[in-house]
Amino acid sequence: MALLRVEDLAVRFETRKATIHAVNGISFELEQGETLGIVGESGCGKSVSSLALLGILPKNGRVTSGSVRFGGRELLELSDAQMREVRGRDIAMIFQDPMTSLNPVLPIRVQITEALRKHLRMNDDQAREEAVRLLQRVGIPAARERVDDYPHQFSGGMRQRVMIAMAISCRPKVLIADEPTTALDVTIQAQILEVLRQLVAEERMALVLITHDLGVVAGLCERTHVMYAGRFIETGTTSDLFARPRHPYTLGLLKSVPRLDAARKERLEPIQGVPRDLRSLGEGCAFAPRCLYATDRSWEETPPLRDVAPGHRVACWNPVPDADLPDRGAPEGEAG
Amino acid sequence: MSVAEAEAAELSLEDQSGLWRDAFERLRRNPGAIAGALIIVAFAAVAVFAPALAPHGPNQQVGRLAAVPPGPSAEFPLGLDQQGRDVLSRIIFGARLSLLVGVVSAGVGLTIGMVLGSVAGYFGRWVDTAVMRTMDLMLAVPQFLLALAIVTALGPGLVQIMVAVGIANVPQFARLLRGSILAQREADYVLAARSLGAPGRRLLLAHILPNSIAPVIVQGTLAMATAIIDVAGLSFLGLGPADPRLTEWGKMVAENAGRLESAPHLVLFPGFAIVISVLGLNLIGDGLREALDPKLKS
Repeated sequence: MALLRVEDLAVRFETRKATIHAVNGISFELEQGETLGIVGESGCGKSVSSLALLGILPKNGRVTSGSVRFGGRELLELSDAQMREVRGRDIAMIFQDPMTSLNPVLPIRVQITEALRKHLRMNDDQAREEAVRLLQRVGIPAARERVDDYPHQFSGGMRQRVMIAMAISCRPKVLIADEPTTALDVTIQAQILEVLRQLVAEERMALVLITHDLGVVAGLCERTHVMYAGRFIETGTTSDLFARPRHPYTLGLLKSVPRLDAARKERLEPIQGVPRDLRSLGEGCAFAPRCLYATDRSWEETPPLRDVAPGHRVACWNPVPDADLPDRGAPEGEAG
Repeated sequence: MSVAEAEAAELSLEDQSGLWRDAFERLRRNPGAIAGALIIVAFAAVAVFAPALAPHGPNQQVGRLAAVPPGPSAEFPLGLDQQGRDVLSRIIFGARLSLLVGVVSAGVGLTIGMVLGSVAGYFGRWVDTAVMRTMDLMLAVPQFLLALAIVTALGPGLVQIMVAVGIANVPQFARLLRGSILAQREADYVLAARSLGAPGRRLLLAHILPNSIAPVIVQGTLAMATAIIDVAGLSFLGLGPADPRLTEWGKMVAENAGRLESAPHLVLFPGFAIVISVLGLNLIGDGLREALDPKLKS
């Protein structure tokens, strides 16, 4: 049985003027030790989905339908107190911006041991030792001396390592990393991804990597789900998806990534138009207004996810034919 | 100093640095704040060591009764009052009461205001509405009038005055902290702590409050200054401590207001004392505001 099974999860935000349909029925499964990438542009519902899994949506957001089963329990039906036991112990999250996600007035030791003291009932001495071990684990030099330092005494990359140490402190079974490298320099990005890769391999943690960066997914994830306007529009193994994208949006994303081996004069092809306004989602494919492949049916009926190959599903009435696929492999990643 | 020593010194400096340490560093570089701190330290020292510093007792008759008391002289630097008491000694002893009044009044306002403000800011919804509309109601009445009304209801007396001024201070603290908490409540680090399973109580007390407190501390020093003025004002209006033996700057000004022309020293010197102590507190408050301003943090 899958470790984590999300079915038809939908999230809405009520604002004074309108209802925002942030997530519109996403489903996925995660096995122990598996790495899943969720890719999409800003505002497509990636982060909101992960906040919904942990039950920490902002006050005006709520889960309107769906199910989240973890280890045989339905998380959406748990009480607040029960859900607090899950957070940090079973499922933990790494946030995007290490500059603002650490509390500036507390030494990092206090923040790393937050979950240890709550979930594992460690006393201060045990927690401190464990914090030092965790910092060493994520590659912070002189961990014993630095454990009482404050966040502002660390660089951005180091802070993200601290965030990772916080998240893995109780050895959660599922680690959600929400754009863990977006706020960092490219060289630091590679280091952080390496830390994540090692953790997943050694601890057999399942990793959900949320990003807009296809290169990051290519290097780290076995499977990838592409998200648009709160829905998965293409799912499959990462290599399949990159080699034979079937959804015009996935193709567009791949085409807009710069490549080192491209001819000098080759231009990037941006996806025309703007992301879908999530206030007014009607029937029809949400991508249709920007799509070169849209048919009459795309405007009238929302396409469901259908198998196009074993393990490769796409939500499109008119998938990209082989002839239109660019003649190239996966984009430059971390040697995936 | 050898290289090793220099490195060790640098390391220990780094060890100590924290948010408050940084703020203190900025405070130290601000001449206004230094001046304010010196005034306040002197003020506190005078209050604490009054019996040793004052040449005479506050109610000790050292000269003769006089309708027009003598002004400053070599023997009595600030002159005598009409009952033959040494004005300098009375001002020195008066510092005790002013310090007490400032600390207690600001403390009362700060404590109640912080509790109300954090409850309103953190829980939001109807709690917020109920608390903050009440605060608005109190703010609609000028602070001094409010204190006047409360002390009239409670009856004159030192404790009543301090409580009244303290309560009149509550709304500004509550408002300030609520706004600050609202801003911090949605901060990323709060979300991160939530994602680790931290309960609401811990989010508020360990994460949100310490990050919201800076403006309240600034307001605290300024509130001490206004408390001293308010209490002096209430004393001036005759609502001060009933015990005639208690020396209070505001009361000294009040009792002698009619003699401003014949014996100005009776009014001016206690007045100066009020002005200088309030100035010191304001300078410190402004310095703290700059030192703790998040916009100035690098």
